[in-house]
Amino acid sequence: MSASGPGGSIFDLGYQSYTGPRLGRQSAVRSLFNHTIRSCFGIGRGGRAKIAPFTLAGIAVLPAALAVGFAALAAQAGPAGGAIEDASPIRYDSYHGLISVLIMLFCAAQAPELFGRDQRYGVLPLYFSRVLTRPDYALAKVVGLMFSLLMVDLAPYLILFVGRVFVAPDPAMGLSDELGAVPRFVLQSLLVAGLFGGIASLIAAWTPRRAYATAAIIAVFIIPPIILAILSSQTSQDLARAVILFSPADVLAGTNAAIFGSLPDSPVVAAVDLPGWMYVAAAAVGIVVTVGLTLRRYLRIAT
Amino acid sequence: MSLISLHDLTRRYPRGVTALDGLTLDLEPGIIGLVGANGAGKSTLIKILLGLLPPTSGEATVMDLDVRTEGTTIRQFVGYMPEYDCLPPDTSATDFVTHMARMSGLPSTAARERTAEVLRHVGLYEERYRAIGGYSTGMKQRVKLAQALVHDPRLLLLDEPTNGLDPAGRDEMLALVRRTGTEFGIAVVVASHLLGEIERVCDFLVAIDAGRLLRAAPLGDFTERTGVLAVEVEEGEAALTAALVAHGLLAVADGRTVLLNVTEDRQYDLVRDAVADLGLPLVRMEQRRQSLEDLFRDEVPAGAAAPAPPASVGGGGPA
Repeated sequence: MSASGPGGSIFDLGYQSYTGPRLGRQSAVRSLFNHTIRSCFGIGRGGRAKIAPFTLAGIAVLPAALAVGFAALAAQAGPAGGAIEDASPIRYDSYHGLISVLIMLFCAAQAPELFGRDQRYGVLPLYFSRVLTRPDYALAKVVGLMFSLLMVDLAPYLILFVGRVFVAPDPAMGLSDELGAVPRFVLQSLLVAGLFGGIASLIAAWTPRRAYATAAIIAVFIIPPIILAILSSQTSQDLARAVILFSPADVLAGTNAAIFGSLPDSPVVAAVDLPGWMYVAAAAVGIVVTVGLTLRRYLRIAT
Repeated sequence: MSLISLHDLTRRYPRGVTALDGLTLDLEPGIIGLVGANGAGKSTLIKILLGLLPPTSGEATVMDLDVRTEGTTIRQFVGYMPEYDCLPPDTSATDFVTHMARMSGLPSTAARERTAEVLRHVGLYEERYRAIGGYSTGMKQRVKLAQALVHDPRLLLLDEPTNGLDPAGRDEMLALVRRTGTEFGIAVVVASHLLGEIERVCDFLVAIDAGRLLRAAPLGDFTERTGVLAVEVEEGEAALTAALVAHGLLAVADGRTVLLNVTEDRQYDLVRDAVADLGLPLVRMEQRRQSLEDLFRDEVPAGAAAPAPPASVGGGGPA
């Protein structure tokens, strides 16, 4: 069968074998990781899929952008401006408190989509009958979610950092002043992305129904702090101290206070008065355990 | 190279169900039908061949690769179309199949090119840019086939490819399977419980029941064991049988039908004369082909009771 025209001919050559490269498992895993990040932000889906992630990410960077603009204005006011700026509620050490709810909502909105969709629609057999293994699939998804969270969480810190460097009267001085904060906010962001991402992955992997997964993720972050607040105010601190390390939101408030050496913005964290390293250790253990259990889920899931 | 080789393959599920029981089989490339009732072990066998389920005991190789240790390599060259729904409704066929090509390790440009080509081959054109959720069952089956073909496998494993299709859709899907096997040069294993369908596309047939091998042979061996003539009369079948036996023919009455073994043309005359002499009202005379349904009706109970010798296909008449 052929079609001829003035420009040449088109031939139906029938089925063509593929002789190009087969990049194998690593390429497939990397590709799934990229695909996960894109899905996290609704890229490659319809417009509606982009609303939640971009709105949440937008709100997360808004205070940082405002703070930078405000600092620029304050710098024009001369010496008096410095005092105004120091009183700003938007600082590296306060930022976690400002946006942790947004990160939680991002998890609740996106993790069920990442983990539930393939289970709900029976797509898993198609993945597992290809070159990637079950752990490959699970890791690409979990790490993809964590990486997306890291971007959302880290972006405002970076805006704040760059803004403060350039707003300073002497950018070189500004840089040396601000550089010390970088490892702190990077570490805090890593812990936030890891723990929120790990918990959301675990819940979403076990709860294919989207609405239930979303509700469960919100519950895990919201309910323990409420219980703790009640325990802390009604009983001795011993009980609160015993359970606070099982409350992800409080653990991350604790790591934030420990890492920045600031006063915790959660009254419960302040009241129980645990050493800071315990929160960091709890977050690290939480990440390892949730990732491990998510992998286990995918090793055993029936297809 | 043998395509698939099984040696004493057994698979037991944790709750004591034996899905495959000592299967030994050697298959050459071609279009292979895997038939058996629901629960016969077809899907289990496919999953073992994909390296997704480990065998409890025994050996299985695909393209000379051991399924236990070289699953990843095998899966690079095998395409799998599952029995059930496996498509996300909110993605277009193009996006989905491209993604699946990437998951098989194809570079992104190649993945897009192969997707376009494969979707054209399965007969999806403009609609491939629309979300899969709006597709008919027939279109979804085509997408399922496309994702199994996109990485140009050497072996295609199709689990009930005509599931849920209307007769026209079945015909199209079977033609597509046939074309894949013959024109594309890809070995195909089609699992189905519908014998009539398998019969239309396969060169070679493997029949299993309760995890045991009933028979593995070229399709011709299953269907061409003719020689049984059925003579239906309205009355007097006993007299006719007696008359034929008297002429030295093997004949048995089965209801109002007399079944007999015909080995030479002269015997048709004998039958005609016998009917005429007795003055019986003849309804029909037909050559009975040993159909697959007959094979199953007779073999399944025997096979379930004892391991049937593979060569004994009783059929409807005296052997």
